[in-house]
Order: sequence, then C-alpha cells, then structure tokens
Amino acid sequence: MSDASLPRFRSVTTETPLARLVLIGLAAGGVALLVFAPLIAVFAEALAKGWMAALESLGNRDARSAIKLTLIIAAIAVPLNVAFGIAAAWFITKFDFRGKAFLITLIDLPFSVSPVVAGLCIVLMFGTNSLVGGWLVANGWPIVFALPGIALATMFVTFPFVARELIPVMIEQGRAEEEAALTLGAGGWRTFWTVTLPNIRWALLYGVLLCNARAMGEFGAVAVVSGKIRGQTATMPITIEMLYNEYLSVAAFSMAAVLTALALITLLLKTALEIRHADALAATHRH
Amino acid sequence: MGRPLIHRSPMPGLGLSMGITLTMLSLVVLLPIGALLVKGAGFGIGNIWETVNRERVWAALFLSFRLSFFAALFNLVFGVLLAWVLVRYRFPGRRILDAAVDLPFALPTAVAGIALTALYAPNGAFGALAKEIGWKIAYSQWGIFIALVFVGLPFVTRTVQPVVEEIDREVEEASATLGANRLHTLIHVILPMLTPAALTGFALSLARAVGEYGSVIFIAGNIPLVTEIAPLLIVIQLEEFNYDAAAAIGIAMLVISFAMLLAINLIQVWSRRRIGYV
Amino acid sequence: MHIEIDEISKEFGTTAALHPVSLAIPSGALVALLGPSGSGKTTLLRILGGLEFPSSGRVRFDGQDATGLSVQDRRAGFVFQSYALFRHMTVFENIAYGLKARPRATRPARAEIARRVGKLLDLIQLPDIGARFPSQLSGGQRQRVALARALAIEPRMLLLDEPFGALDAKVRKELRQGLRDIHDETGLTTVFVTHDQEEAMELADLVVVMSMGRIEQIGKPADIRARPATPFVRSFISA
Repeated sequence: MSDASLPRFRSVTTETPLARLVLIGLAAGGVALLVFAPLIAVFAEALAKGWMAALESLGNRDARSAIKLTLIIAAIAVPLNVAFGIAAAWFITKFDFRGKAFLITLIDLPFSVSPVVAGLCIVLMFGTNSLVGGWLVANGWPIVFALPGIALATMFVTFPFVARELIPVMIEQGRAEEEAALTLGAGGWRTFWTVTLPNIRWALLYGVLLCNARAMGEFGAVAVVSGKIRGQTATMPITIEMLYNEYLSVAAFSMAAVLTALALITLLLKTALEIRHADALAATHRH
Repeated sequence: MGRPLIHRSPMPGLGLSMGITLTMLSLVVLLPIGALLVKGAGFGIGNIWETVNRERVWAALFLSFRLSFFAALFNLVFGVLLAWVLVRYRFPGRRILDAAVDLPFALPTAVAGIALTALYAPNGAFGALAKEIGWKIAYSQWGIFIALVFVGLPFVTRTVQPVVEEIDREVEEASATLGANRLHTLIHVILPMLTPAALTGFALSLARAVGEYGSVIFIAGNIPLVTEIAPLLIVIQLEEFNYDAAAAIGIAMLVISFAMLLAINLIQVWSRRRIGYV
Repeated sequence: MHIEIDEISKEFGTTAALHPVSLAIPSGALVALLGPSGSGKTTLLRILGGLEFPSSGRVRFDGQDATGLSVQDRRAGFVFQSYALFRHMTVFENIAYGLKARPRATRPARAEIARRVGKLLDLIQLPDIGARFPSQLSGGQRQRVALARALAIEPRMLLLDEPFGALDAKVRKELRQGLRDIHDETGLTTVFVTHDQEEAMELADLVVVMSMGRIEQIGKPADIRARPATPFVRSFISA
C-alpha cells in the first residue's frame, strides 16, 4: 500500500496554529504595553536633553549622597535579612514543631502590609513621642528621621524575601544529606557550610538579588520614616520624588534610569541563574 | 494528642536558629505592628471608628479596594493567559517575555510611578493618543487602575506557571479519547486544574495593590473623594502630626490586609482538601 | 470490530520505535501486546487510539481506512497507565464526562446519563463511590473508574496501557478477572499492553510478542508456549 497521501495530523494536546498565534500575540502585546513601554519611557525621558545633562544631574551633591545612602541601607538591610532568612529556613525545614504554618504566615506578613503602614508602625514605635523613641532620641540615638529608621523600614518590607526562596528548596532537598554528615562526625557549623550551603547557593543568590532590588527601591515606607531631609535622609527613590515634584524631569528620570538599570541587571542575573541551575531553583517560583 | 511542642532531634542549631528567627521576627515585624495596635487601643475603638467613618476616609478605602479588585481581575485573566503561553508554546523571545514578567517585582515603585505618568499624561506617548478620543488616563481613576495592573502583574502568572508545567498530558489525551474537542478540554479539564493557583495569585495581586503607594501616587491626581488612595491619607495625617488619625486608618488597612491573608490561606486549605493539591 | 494494522511504522526523529508491522485482530478478541520496555508495544497502542500518528502504513476498522481519523472521532476507549482521572471531578463526573462532552444533538438527557453511569458503577462493582474524588480512592478503585469512564462512551474498542502496572499482586489478580468478565460481558475488541508474560498468557485470547519495534510472534497462549518461534520468545516466555 502506498502512503503518499497520509492525512495531516495535529497533536491533541495543543491548540490550532492560528489560536496559538493569537494567544502569543495577545500575551506579547500586553507585556509590551504594560512592561516594556514604561521601561523605554524612563530612558527616553532621562536622555531627553542628551547624555551630558543626564550624567551631570547624577553628579551633583544631593544625588551623590542619595546614592551613597541607598547603598548603605542595602548594605545593612540585605545581610541582616539574609541571616534571618537562613536561620528561619533552617529552623523551619530541619525541625518538626507545632505552629509551623502560623510561623510562616507571620514571616509573610510584610508582604501583605502596605509599605506606608509599615513606615507608620515604625514611626509609632520609635518616634519621639513614643516611650522607646523618646528615650532613644534623648540619648542621641534617633531612629525616625534618621538612618536607623530607614534601615528598619527597609528591613521590614524586604523581610520575607530570602526566607521564602530558601524554604521550598530546602524542604524539597530534605534532611538526608545533613543527617549523613552528622553520622560521619561533622559538627553543626561544618555541616551547614559544607553540605547545606552548597545545595542552596543558587536559591540564596536569587533571594539576595530580589531582596537587594527591593531594598534599594523601597519608597512608601521610607517616605514615611525618613523625613525626606535632602542630603541626609533622602534615598534615591525619595530623591526621585522630590526632583519630579520640582519639575526637574531629566534629573528625576536619570536617577530612575540608574535604578532601572539595576533592576534589569537583577533580572538578567536571575534568568541566567534559572537557565543554568533550573533544578536547584525547582520550587522557587512561588512569590 | 500529646504531641510535643517541638520534637527533640539530633539536628544541630535548634537554639541558634530558633533564637535568631524569633528575635528578628519580633523586633522587625511583630513589635512595630504591635505598636500600631497599642496606639489604636490607646485611641479607643470608638474614636477609631469615628475617624474612619468619614466620607473622605471611606472614599479612599473604597477607591483603593475597588480599583485594586478590578486590576487584580484583569491580572487574573491576563496572568493565566501569560502563564499558558510561556509554558506551552515555543517562540522567539519567549525567555525575554518570561523575564519581563518579573520587572514589576524588581522595579522600584517610584520609578514605575513616574514612568507610567510620563506615558499616560496628556502629553505622553499613550496619553496623547487617548486625548484624541477624549479619554483622560493620567490623573484619573484609569491611571490608578493601570498602575495597579502593573504592580500586580507577576503574581497570577508566577503562581499559575508551576501548575501548568505539571499538568499531566495524559489527562488532556484522555479528554480527547472521550470525544471532547480542544475547547471543551480547555474549559472543563485544564482551567479547573488552574483555579486554586489562579485564585491564590488573584488574592496576592489584590493584597499588593490595596497597599500600593509609590506607583500610584504620581499618576493618581490625588483629589480627595475622587482619586485619593488610602495610603496617601495616612501620609497626610502623619505630615500634620495627627498620629491617632493615622493609626486609625492604618489599623483599618491592616484589617483589610489580614482579611486578604486569611482568604489566601482558606483557598489553599479548601483546595488541598477537595482536590488533593494546591 | 475487526482491526487491521497494515505495515504500520513509527519513527521519533532518527529512532525507529516501530518497524513496519502488520497484524489482524478479529472482532471481539482480547489481545495482549507483550514485550519488554522499548519494544514498541505502547507506541502501537497509541497509534491505534489516534494519539500518535504513524510514519507510514494504514489502520483499518471493519475494513474502513481510519488512519486519518481524529482521536475524538475514533471512539476508542483508552485506559492510561496512570489512569489520568480528572482530579477536580467526582467519580460520577469523570465517568459522565464523555457523554457530557458530546454536541447537543447527540448528548443524552441528564437522567439518562445518570442511569448509564449507575449501570457502569455496578459493572465495575463500586456502586457507592459516585460522589468521591479520585484522591480519596485506592489504586485498584481508580483503575476501575478509568475503565468505566472509557466504557461510558460506548466505544468500538477498548485500549489499555499497562492496566495493572501500578498495583500490588493481590489487587492485580482481582482486576484481571474483572477485566476478563467485562470483556466477556461487553464483547468489545480489547487490546492491552503488558510486560508481564504471565498476565498476558492468562488473560488473552491472542498474544502478540514484540521486541525492539518488531513483532516476534502472534498466536494463542498455548501455541506460543508450545512452539516459540524465535529465541527471544523462548527466553521471554520462560522468564
């Protein structure tokens, strides 16, 4: 029998080519409109008066102190949250205890609380007319309207990031390897450094990237806590707001462009991580 | 019953990890929230209600919630579509599209705020087009809506994607062998499997949008009763040193946040019990 | 329904899963496709069901060329190795699925659907589980529900992919008898895939021994035992 005229066949687990095209078009179009357009807008506005104007605006004193402050805040908040994330993930995944789900919910709280409310909480706790705050200010340790307050607010908002990345991965990896190390005579710290850490390093890096991006970009909580004192407590996002409200569009967008570039690099690194270490990040697609 | 609070285990580091976890959780999260609640308690439930029960406050709370709801709804539909396309189809630029979905997560909210305003203001690229047909986007509720769609975009997609990845092709084949065409399979077999994750993503998107500040504050216009969002009210009260009023509104927003969290947890419990997975 | 497999072959890229094979299955027979993994037996089954498309060759049902017939139109009841039950639907809804998916013109009334599902639940001897979800069933129960679901569409043939694979020995024996009984009662042409030679020999009217994409021998179980055609068959059967 000749099979010259075999009928056309389409897999039953996919849509017609036309349907696929339409769906892809809708998806890509939507993302282009919602995501790519604002991206382009940032750089277009920053360079509206040319490269030189943009770079100059970044060089002035207030801009430089804003950048410095933002970096310092990130340098404080991120390592502390990493330490917390590792400790919490270890506690939750290596031990059995009642109330685990409740603990995880508490850790997730900052995710569902408005950043403005977060800032408000810190102002109420450490502001000059609170018990704690009054005492601290009197002794020369102001929290609100000063660096510690901004750091604390930033920590609040980025609190769950690292823990949330590590917990699913560590659950999936189980305890067997650590237990094996223990039976071979390794102590706690050695087990952690030589067995656990290598297994979670990509998830950890991913969490650090996200935590950092959010820490450097936090606005709402910092707006409430910082007092927006130019040159002292104005982080980059705060400075962007102030410049924008003063109609200094190029300056505002130039600083925004710097933060955008950082966000893009974060995404690039994240994609690279995912391509090369997909299995190690298996359970991390849970924001 | 009689399960111990914590099982004794040879695994090291219990004391240290538990100590760090609980200490930092208390210092950074629980105590500040506690301070808010204490302030509110000091103010008194009656006074809190009186502060919140004003037209301007209700308007702001309703506005935030209503626009967040519709934005989350849009993200629900678009997010499921996006998740499907990203997982099931292969096309040039797919990885870029996948990475782009995370941008609202990584981009500072203030940057998103001014960028969206630049686009949708009457002299912006899209705003000018809209002006042609008499549609004002920036400085109106539409602007707020678009900003809220932006910040909530990743949530549904990222929660639904893993579920789509795990769909057993055999189930789709089974549906076909039983005589169902592709559309029927999509509606009756595949979509229900995605529902729990989609709902969770919806609730997460909603929770994020209700409290959003930076992305919205520039494009909103901030006219009381019309385009004033709830977080802004809190900021205004603080700038005027009305700590009690700020705390009152803050507590109202906290209640909404907790309700969202509860809803998310209930969805997951319901889904686990009924279908055996989340 | 009489099935004719005419020089069917299947290539996946450069690998040949099936070299051209031919086979005639008499109407109403219970046939086993027997072989180790990689023998092509599942591929052949899926081609029969329309889930794979042959690289060459023809399939005929009752003399009519069915090679290009879509899965939906084939009316081949298929039981998957993992059962592929719809987890978000009750047992009742699973079994009724094929009937409800029909276009309005051919769809039975609700009462009629309920009646048929009830009869099928009786047939698989699980009359009370209609309201349960698959996650609440044991492996053996799920297998039977998958069978009932496939039977609900009044298929022309029944295709089963390793139907007893995931079950323990005792449950297997019960279900084997169950399948035999259902086959005898419905008279459907039934083809099942297995790597278990004892199972094939015990259940089937006709055994097709396969290896590496080729048919080694076709025959009644007794004949194959008595006169194995190739060294492979001899060693596989005695294993």
